[in-house]
Amino acid sequence: MATRSRAAAQGGEATRSRAAAQLLRHRYLYLMVLPGFLTVLIFNYFPMYGILIAFKDFNASKGIWGSEWVGLKYFESFFHDPMALRVLKNTLLLGLYTLFWSFPAPIILALLLNELKHKGFKKLVQTVSYFPHFISVVIVAGMLKEFTARDGLFNHILAFFGGSPVMFLLESDYFRTIFISSGIWQGIGFGTIIYLAALSGIDPTLYDVAEVDGAGRWKKIVHVTWPSLRPTTTILLIFALGGVLGTDFQKIILLYSPETYEVADVIGSYVYRQGILGAQYEYTTAIGLFMSLISFAILYATNWASRKFSETSLF
Amino acid sequence: MKKEGLGSRAFDVVNVLIMLFILVVVLYPILNIVATSLSSARYISAGSVTIWPKGFSTQAYTTVFQDPYIFKGYLNSILYAAGSTGIMLLFTALMAYPLTIPGFAAKKFLTIFLMVTMFFGGGLIPTYLLMRNLHLLDTIWVMILPGAISAYNVFLFRTFFMNIPSELKDSAYIDGANDMVVLFRIVLPLSKALFATFALFGLVGSWNSWFEALIYLRDQDKYPLQMVLRNYLFTLDTTAIQGRVGGGSVAINAPGSALDPKAVRMSVIIITMFPIMCIYPFFQKHFNQGIFVGSVKG
Repeated sequence: MATRSRAAAQGGEATRSRAAAQLLRHRYLYLMVLPGFLTVLIFNYFPMYGILIAFKDFNASKGIWGSEWVGLKYFESFFHDPMALRVLKNTLLLGLYTLFWSFPAPIILALLLNELKHKGFKKLVQTVSYFPHFISVVIVAGMLKEFTARDGLFNHILAFFGGSPVMFLLESDYFRTIFISSGIWQGIGFGTIIYLAALSGIDPTLYDVAEVDGAGRWKKIVHVTWPSLRPTTTILLIFALGGVLGTDFQKIILLYSPETYEVADVIGSYVYRQGILGAQYEYTTAIGLFMSLISFAILYATNWASRKFSETSLF
Repeated sequence: MKKEGLGSRAFDVVNVLIMLFILVVVLYPILNIVATSLSSARYISAGSVTIWPKGFSTQAYTTVFQDPYIFKGYLNSILYAAGSTGIMLLFTALMAYPLTIPGFAAKKFLTIFLMVTMFFGGGLIPTYLLMRNLHLLDTIWVMILPGAISAYNVFLFRTFFMNIPSELKDSAYIDGANDMVVLFRIVLPLSKALFATFALFGLVGSWNSWFEALIYLRDQDKYPLQMVLRNYLFTLDTTAIQGRVGGGSVAINAPGSALDPKAVRMSVIIITMFPIMCIYPFFQKHFNQGIFVGSVKG
């Protein structure tokens, strides 16, 4: 007994000194990760701790921990908020429309680019169509405002066909269309990059073999090109579904107005208005937490389904 | 060679037409903005400017450059873009390299520590409150520090560093170099392509960002260009713009004036977009490197 504990003590000492030696040997490595570690700790983890105020009556002088617990009060008030249903519906609809229209667009464009025979022309289309991705959201929103104005491009086109002018941004009927189509305008080209990379990895002999088997152009697209895009598509679809509630509210808060709140106000813009502008910190933190939980659940479920049915998954 | 069916040739024609449509839809708005910014009021209000300036005039630009906030915005944007990109590259490289060292005890912990941030975050309001509590509002730090580390970037850097032949590193270690020296003298000089790509994307991302400025900055003197632009496009009316450019001495939209407020707004768009247009050709070779493909394939 005594010898064993002495041996254990010696072993512990040895481990400890080995650990110390390793710590000393890797001292530069610890020094190197320090700045990054601290920024992540402060700017990523501290806000996670700050989520606690969703369950408290936040009092700045008492701090987050010192403020009084109120349980699920703010979650309950969200369910009783007459605006809640509207912003949830708008968020979900814009997310689903984006998924339906914006997600497939780059896949289709990549397949079409892949069928272009003239390489120079292909390159030109790529170079031009990637550019909008690099334009800031402020500029895109500003362009939309100018082109949809009473004396803007769209109304000139309308007038040319004999239509009467429409104030597009002030009418809720047009908001979703403007939002989604400008998103496609901005993202379709750049979105092809990842699919074109997958296409460039296809073994050309596959096409030759398909041709020998009598496959025409359409058959080759269906049986050779598309299958090679499927894993990438699946992964990106999982991400897209996980982000279906994370509408790009930056563009929305630039473009919307009380006239269009009815269709344009989403979770992000509502949290911004009530939280940053209205200082309802606890309430909006609760809304934010509620939405991230749902988003994560969607991501997890999609990932699970994908692993089960297509053997491609994130984790 | 092989005979092509009628359907196949028809498809080619339709395909080219679709591509031409895309070219027009992308290029027309941009060219129209350039043309409008360089046209005189008469043609703009008649709506006859398309993709070529009519009644060529640079008055919009000379007017806008009299607004001190445009100049300040430019300086601030350059400062924020250079600062945040520089810190991002430095911190990311410093964080990624130790993760390539076998036997580094904190490796697993740090990987999980970073991975968690890919799925969870505090959200807008807790982050805002943190910045306020740290007294970072209205400082340059809030514009350049918080985004320094992204887990994706660290993992991409790590993968890149791991693909550098280990003989080079090993021989340096044998010569007695420490980790810091190996990173800065051996690894980083071999990672120029990686740095160029991330620097370009970092600069553009920072140049184009505005929301951080909207919520974290109150002081107009600290506004980046995107915020100045946002005011021109969405909040300032003609009178306010006139007040900012030479105390109302410039007549915008006055009868007989050559300057249309639309030309003013379009010129600010072009001024804001100009650096992106200049830098864009340098992106060409980075598109096909597949460096970002790795981020999705994991």
